[in-house]
Amino acid sequence: MSKLLSVGYWVFFSFILLFIALPMVVVLAASVSPTSHVTFEFWTWTLEWFGKLWTSKWLDPFILSAKIAAIVAVISGVLATLGAYAVAYEKCPGHDAIMSFLLSPLAVPQIVKGVAIVLFLSSAGLFRYLGTPGLIAGHIILTVPFAVRMIATSMYNFDKNLDRAARILGASWWQRIRYVLLPLIKPGIFSGMTFAFIISFNNVPLSLFLVRPGQSTLPITVINYFEYSLDPILAAVNVASLLFILAVIFLFERIGGFTVQIHGGSK
Amino acid sequence: MSAAEIADIELVGVTKSYGGNVVVVDNVSLTVPRGEFVSILGPSGCGKTTTLNMIAGFHEPSSGEIRIRGRNQVGVPPEKRNIGLVFQNYALFPHMTVQENVAFGPKMKGQSKSETEEAVRSALKSVRLEGYESRYPKELSGGQQQRTALARAIAPRPSVLLLDEPLSNLDLKLREAMRIELKEVQQQLGMTFVYVTHDQEEAMSMSDRVVVMSDGVVAQEGRPSEIYQNPVSAFVADFIGKSNLLPVKQARDHDGRLTLTLGGGLSLVSERSGDIPANDITLCCIRPENVQLARKGASGENLLTGRVDKLVNLGAHAELWVDVSKDCLLKVQVPVRRLQGIEIGSHVDLLIESAAIQPLAH
Repeated sequence: MSKLLSVGYWVFFSFILLFIALPMVVVLAASVSPTSHVTFEFWTWTLEWFGKLWTSKWLDPFILSAKIAAIVAVISGVLATLGAYAVAYEKCPGHDAIMSFLLSPLAVPQIVKGVAIVLFLSSAGLFRYLGTPGLIAGHIILTVPFAVRMIATSMYNFDKNLDRAARILGASWWQRIRYVLLPLIKPGIFSGMTFAFIISFNNVPLSLFLVRPGQSTLPITVINYFEYSLDPILAAVNVASLLFILAVIFLFERIGGFTVQIHGGSK
Repeated sequence: MSAAEIADIELVGVTKSYGGNVVVVDNVSLTVPRGEFVSILGPSGCGKTTTLNMIAGFHEPSSGEIRIRGRNQVGVPPEKRNIGLVFQNYALFPHMTVQENVAFGPKMKGQSKSETEEAVRSALKSVRLEGYESRYPKELSGGQQQRTALARAIAPRPSVLLLDEPLSNLDLKLREAMRIELKEVQQQLGMTFVYVTHDQEEAMSMSDRVVVMSDGVVAQEGRPSEIYQNPVSAFVADFIGKSNLLPVKQARDHDGRLTLTLGGGLSLVSERSGDIPANDITLCCIRPENVQLARKGASGENLLTGRVDKLVNLGAHAELWVDVSKDCLLKVQVPVRRLQGIEIGSHVDLLIESAAIQPLAH
C-alpha cells in the first residue's frame, strides 16, 4: 500500500514539475528555431535570434527595465524596512491597522491602479512625469507590500532579547540597529528587494499606462512586437530575460543569503 | 563614607506598579555590598524579574531609588549603566562567533582593539572556553552557550552582574556543575552578582545572601543557613526546603520555653520563644531531618507515636509520612539504614529536639 502511495506520489510530483517546466522548454526550443517560423527541430538550431537582440531596439528597453527595477528594488527595500521597523519591530500604536493598510494595494487590480495613477498625474498637472519617474513610482506602490511582508516576517522572528543584550552591553540605538538588527534581518531585506526587482522587471499591466512612446520597458516592447509578428526573436527575449533574472537572484542571494528565508532553513 | 563602604547596589523603597493598582514590586529595599553573591529567590510572579529589570534599567521604578556604586540610576538608560546581564535563553548573537560575541561589549564601549582582545581572552579564560573563539553559537552545546553568555557579560568589566535564571535551560547534571563554576568565577573576579532564580537549591548553594520574595515584597533576607534554619513565615519555610507546618492552637511561654498545643491532643515544647509573642503563634515549622526515630521505650518531651502512612525511598535517605494524630501527618527524613523493620503500617516513635521547633506567626 505504502509502495503504491509512494509511486503515486512520484508520478504526481513529476507531473507538477513537468507542468512548471514545459512552457520554458518550449520557449527555449523556439528561441533556437532555425526558421523565422517557429519550428522545433532537434537536429538543427541557431543562435541567430539571440544575436538580433544586440540592437538598440531590444537593448534600450532592456536597459530601461533593468534600471527601473534596480531603483525600485532599492527604494522599496528602504521604504519597506522603515515601515516594517515601525510596524513589526517597534509595534507602533495601531500597528495591526497600519500593516493591513500597507498590504492593501495587493487587493487593487493593477489595471485599476494604472488608470488611477494616470488620472492623478493628468489632473494634478504632472503629466510630464509619465515615463521613467511614473514607472518607478507606480512600481514602488506595487512592490512595497511584498517587500514589507517579507521584511516584517524577519522582524517578527527577531528575538527582542538580542536587542536587550546589546543594550546592556553598552550599544546605542544606532549601534544596535547596525550590528544586531540589520545583519539578522538582511536575508529578509534582500528577499524583499529581489521580489521587488522581479515584479518591476516583468510588469505589464501597470507599465502599459505609464510608458512614454519611444521609451518603453522590455515587457511592453515584447507585447507591442507580438501584435505584429510571432517569430523566434520573442522566445529569445524571454530566454534572455530569464537568464538575467536568474543572475540577479543569484547575485542578491550571494549578498543577502536569503535561501534560508524562502525555503525555511533546510540549508 | 569611603569608597570601599559604598554598596554596589542599593534599592531604596523601590515600587513598581502598572496602571496605579497592579503592584508588582512593593517597597523593596536592598543593599548589596561589593563582591557579594546575592540571590533573589521566589516563585514565578513574585516580582524578582521585575526587580532585576529595574536594576538593569529596562523598567523604571514607579517610586523609590536605585543606586549603583552610590549613583542614582533613575532615568539612566541600560546602555549607560555599566551592568552585565546573563539571560535565561542566553541571547547570544547568532550571526557572530564566540569571539565576536564576547568582544561586543568592549567594542561598543569604545575600547581599543588590543584592549578588546585582552578582555575577550581573559573572559574566555575565566569561563574555560579557550579554543572556541571561531565557533558560532549554534555550533555549541547548551553548557558552552551558557559559558559564552557569561563571558560576554563579564568582558566589559561591569560593576555588577545580573543573572536571570541562567541555568534553567540546562539538564540537572550540568546545572549542578555550572553552579560550582559560577561561584568560582564570581570569587575569582570579586564581582558583585545578583542572581534571580526560583530554584532554592541554586540560591542556597551559591549565595552569600538570599533574598526571598513573595507577592512583590521581601519575605526574608539573610544567609542561606539562617533562612533555612529560622524561616520567619510559613511561606519561607515551605518555599525553602521541605518542612512540616503544623497549626498551633495555643502557645504558652514559660521562661523562654514554649509549650505548643496542637490539634489531636498533641503538645510540643519549643526552646525558641524568639521575637514572636506567644499569643501570635499560629504555626510551627519542623524540618523533616530534625525528626528522629526514637528507640522503643524511650521517654521524654516531644516524643510522638504514629503509624507509617507512606514510605518513599530516595536512595541515601527515605521519607516517611507518619500519622501522629487524627489530622496531623508528619514528614520524617531518615537514613535508609535505619529503615529496618519499618514498612507502611508500622508504628514508630518519633523524637523532636525542642530547639528544632520554630514557632511562626503566619
